Amino acid sequence: MGHGEKGRPSKRIKSSSSKEEYRLAAFTDDDDPSFMEGAGEDDDRDGGEEGKKKDFTKLELKPDHPNRPLWACADGRIFLETFSPLYKHAYDFLIAIAEPVCRPESMHEYNLTPHSLYAAVSVGLETETIISVLNKLSKTVLPKEMIDFIYASTANYGKVKLVLKKNRYFVESPFPEVLKKLLKDEVISHARVASEGTDADGFTISKAMGETVGGHNELLNESELAAAAEEKETHSFEIDPSQVENVKQRCLPNALNYPMLEEYDFRNDTVNPDLEVELKPHAQPRPYQEKSLSKMFGNGRARSGIIVLPCGAGKSLWAFQFKLWSTIKDEQICRFTSDNKERFHGNAGVVVTTYNMVAFGGKRSEESEKIIEEIRKREWGLLLMDEVHVVPAHMFRKVISLTKSHCKLGLTATLVREDERITDLNFLIGPKLYEANWLDLVRGGFIANVQCAEVWCPMTKEFFAEYLKKENSKKKQALYVMNPNKFRACEFLIRFHEEQRKDKIIVFADNLFALTEYATKLRKPMIYGATSHIERTKILQAFKTSSKVNTIFLSKVGDNSIDIPEANVIIQISSHAGSRRQEAQRLGRILRAKGKPQDRMAGGKEEFNAFFYSLVSTDTQEMYYSTKRQQFLIDQGYSFKVITSLPPPDSGASLSYERLDEQLALLGKVLSAGDDMVGLEQLEEDADDINLHKARRTFGSMSAMSGANGMVYMEYRTGKGKLVAAKAKPKDPSKRHYLFKKRFA
Amino acid sequence: MVNATKGMFISCDVPMAQFIINYNGSLPASQKFIIHILDNTHLFVQPHAGEMIRNAIQEFREQNSYEKPN
Repeated sequence: MGHGEKGRPSKRIKSSSSKEEYRLAAFTDDDDPSFMEGAGEDDDRDGGEEGKKKDFTKLELKPDHPNRPLWACADGRIFLETFSPLYKHAYDFLIAIAEPVCRPESMHEYNLTPHSLYAAVSVGLETETIISVLNKLSKTVLPKEMIDFIYASTANYGKVKLVLKKNRYFVESPFPEVLKKLLKDEVISHARVASEGTDADGFTISKAMGETVGGHNELLNESELAAAAEEKETHSFEIDPSQVENVKQRCLPNALNYPMLEEYDFRNDTVNPDLEVELKPHAQPRPYQEKSLSKMFGNGRARSGIIVLPCGAGKSLWAFQFKLWSTIKDEQICRFTSDNKERFHGNAGVVVTTYNMVAFGGKRSEESEKIIEEIRKREWGLLLMDEVHVVPAHMFRKVISLTKSHCKLGLTATLVREDERITDLNFLIGPKLYEANWLDLVRGGFIANVQCAEVWCPMTKEFFAEYLKKENSKKKQALYVMNPNKFRACEFLIRFHEEQRKDKIIVFADNLFALTEYATKLRKPMIYGATSHIERTKILQAFKTSSKVNTIFLSKVGDNSIDIPEANVIIQISSHAGSRRQEAQRLGRILRAKGKPQDRMAGGKEEFNAFFYSLVSTDTQEMYYSTKRQQFLIDQGYSFKVITSLPPPDSGASLSYERLDEQLALLGKVLSAGDDMVGLEQLEEDADDINLHKARRTFGSMSAMSGANGMVYMEYRTGKGKLVAAKAKPKDPSKRHYLFKKRFA
Repeated sequence: MVNATKGMFISCDVPMAQFIINYNGSLPASQKFIIHILDNTHLFVQPHAGEMIRNAIQEFREQNSYEKPN
């Protein structure tokens, strides 16, 4: 690469004592005209010509590049070699500063974005640290564009904080001039509330602890580690609690660009009582769980933000698990759901509830009104929000404004939404604090090693002929889902896994007509939106315990959080158009690790211990959707194997729909079913997939569009969208759990 | 008397044959190109129809394939 390019003085830096000593000096060489020219040419970050973006010949290789793990490009993209001995450190660092784009086995792609850098600053990384560590890891001299971009994006970050004190919100900053600038904004000045004890500018002055550098120590040298930790003077003004969200939004990178950090200095909180709770001794946090915690509590304070871990990696807690893993007393934990309305006792504790219960807008019973009032009145230490990807933004707003909390932690496995509303979460909750790499977790044996397969089922002659007819445009989905070849493939797979491997199988179908037909024909139990709570419990119980019930059919009610750790095979016969999130969530149903840990590790007995089949009718729209749906998992490093010969040709009459007259009878049934029968099941939670309707094609029935389809109120599904509000504060450091001790030492 | 018609012999899989038949059916009578449906996977069509059929299939397949946006 560009070593000896003529006309450009070498910008490689003379090696000083240690090879780790590469500096940025070269880039301050502003009087180097040829270099500046080059920089101008390359500056086409937003679009520009494709060719230029892919031309990396100007990047300059460092002499010891084989020892360094990553490539940094001028357009903000970073590529990481996962086989490098420095991979682990480099991964932890990159995931903190950049957005992962695609993470296959050997090479990861990341992208630096304003939001990802905001997240980096909020976990305590400073601009200089980001650049110097990046430079140390990079095989090439860091492009000037990238350095400029990091400076530009982080210049204002971390200067403003939002603090909750005694149930009042304050905007805090060590720089009064920044606050003045913010107050010039109409929204913010409007939200300001006058408070007593102020200086000439109307700011309250107080002292706060300086930041201590957290994490990445191994990559920094002594002098960098000795970052200032002296006390700083801070200025603040109070804002109206109801305006908090608007103020936060105004401060985001796309507006005033002073993103607010939300931190809770819980150790110095003398107002709120502590909750006496510890992990039980047998509870050992896994490495990635510890890492997540270290990001959250990196500077001894609690940060708000989102943690992304795959399903089955151990994120969610509900009442039972609190009792299982921690020393919490029974009376300190209560449930607030439609089935269990328990009053809160004592002055510190944990409330487990659902988003629906808190955000519910209608008239409440007297009892729940009282509980809500109690939740509203008090100040919460931690608001723990599970499955943040499913909840519509307006519901979040309600929950967040209702529960005043010092610290908010969002948990999810899939930070993708078809409506691209993920950025909303950035200001509603906070930046992404940590995201685990799925394949690393598989390798560690923490989640199951899943074989993903796409089974191609050719359409039969008669079904395809009907599929092509214009008058059947509304029945297309029903026709490709009910394709007899697909049915036979499904039947074959169920039989194979039940009989040969003694597996537990979940079959997913979004299309209710198909769900009913398949389940009835194969004599398997099924659960969908309208299945009663009692029946659900009965079916799930049988599936978990009985050796006779090895397969269940689920509609999309089973996508999230129905907890069936026993299942290890998923067969998907129909799905919600192109939803990447649904695909990932469904895979998540079987990710809970199975079998003995040593068998699961790389080189263990079982190469794969879980199976994810997606049955697709070829030559139909389903092919389009199927490829789109797989994108998220492919970006996580999964690969889909294509299977074309299922069922095997010799299976003949052992499977259903072998004879033409049977197939024709089925076809007749599909064609005679009403349009509203063959559409998708509509659930309340679909609100976030609005963008799907902007996709190229849509399915749906007239009655669904007109709102005539009965919406099922899903409140009783306590499994979905758990929301845990905990009022937790640590106590005497000597009694603190070892995990936290390390952090406070 | 023996009648000889010049044409093109198409060999394809079952669904594609159905697609071509459907395409043929959607055209006005003057433009229909299928001379004979031989069986499920073989058709005999007018010699000039080849390119047209290829284009129609190409378009149909494109509709059904997803490309990751960049």
